[in-house]
Amino acid sequence: MLREGILGATSLLLGMIPFGIVAGVAMVSAGLTHGQAVAMGILVFAGSAQLAVVPLLVAKAPLWVMYATALVVNLRYVIYSAVLAPYFGHLSRLWRALLAYITVDGMFALFIGRFAVDERRSDRHWYYFGGSLLLWLGWQVSSWIGIFVGALIPKAWMLEFASTVSLIGILMPLFYDRAVVAGALAAGAVALAAAKWPLNLGLLAAVAAGVAVGLAASRLGATRNAQKGAA
Amino acid sequence: MSESWYGWLLVAGASLVVFFTRAVFILPGARLRLPPAAEKILRYAPAAALMAIVVPDTAMVHGAWVVSLYNPRFVGGLAAFAIAAATRSVTLTIVGGMAALTLVRLFLA
Repeated sequence: MLREGILGATSLLLGMIPFGIVAGVAMVSAGLTHGQAVAMGILVFAGSAQLAVVPLLVAKAPLWVMYATALVVNLRYVIYSAVLAPYFGHLSRLWRALLAYITVDGMFALFIGRFAVDERRSDRHWYYFGGSLLLWLGWQVSSWIGIFVGALIPKAWMLEFASTVSLIGILMPLFYDRAVVAGALAAGAVALAAAKWPLNLGLLAAVAAGVAVGLAASRLGATRNAQKGAA
Repeated sequence: MSESWYGWLLVAGASLVVFFTRAVFILPGARLRLPPAAEKILRYAPAAALMAIVVPDTAMVHGAWVVSLYNPRFVGGLAAFAIAAATRSVTLTIVGGMAALTLVRLFLA
């Protein structure tokens, strides 16, 4: 099972390497020391959260705004956690902590696509662990390349923008329906309008507006569908 | 680095926050369920947050809107959106977005 998991994750590894390099470069160019950047890759181990706090670090935002941003960007993991919990319920506390820590988007999708919750297999966590371990190693090594080699790249190349384009790449699969798109557009507009607010609070206002518009749009869509059904 | 504590507090706090999101249901192991209202908010927040980071990064230079073909970030960001929508590949999005940014930087800006 361990071997199968590792093999299954190899296709995800290729997409992760440039992303890891970009994250490494971005963390260092935002002012983290090499040690801090390496520690962040190991302890936080979440590309989108790491990249999301980088522009805030450059802007010297207060810590709590950065924590809130990391939390909001990673809220999708709360859903993964709820979906995965019944798969790992029979394991020890240490195993559950390890599997929670090592969770990433790609491996989550691969795993729930492959195993049904009610399927009685006691060794499926080895599949999850094997694949996740490969991705963990890939993330660390590619981050180190960015952290230690990235400094040699001239500033004029604007390589820090690579973190923005990779966030755009992560963003697109989250657009699963029109309500999400509507919410995201509202968030983008509010972020532009509120860019000069103190303490980067414009970002949090944008998220609140995005959630509100997303909820309203989904309710509107549901009403419209219901009317269509009645007619 | 004089502000080294700032970086370490960021690393420590962000790692706790991120671990919390991953462990919140897996670690208790009991039959915790996600309330439907929470599930709805969780659906919209990450895309909104990422968009709120990406849009100003792309369309603003030093706090002013620069929506112009001479702004390398704006062109790079637009290219990245187009490539991401067409291919759904993060790798191609990074390569294409940075290529567009570089072309504008070298030949237009």
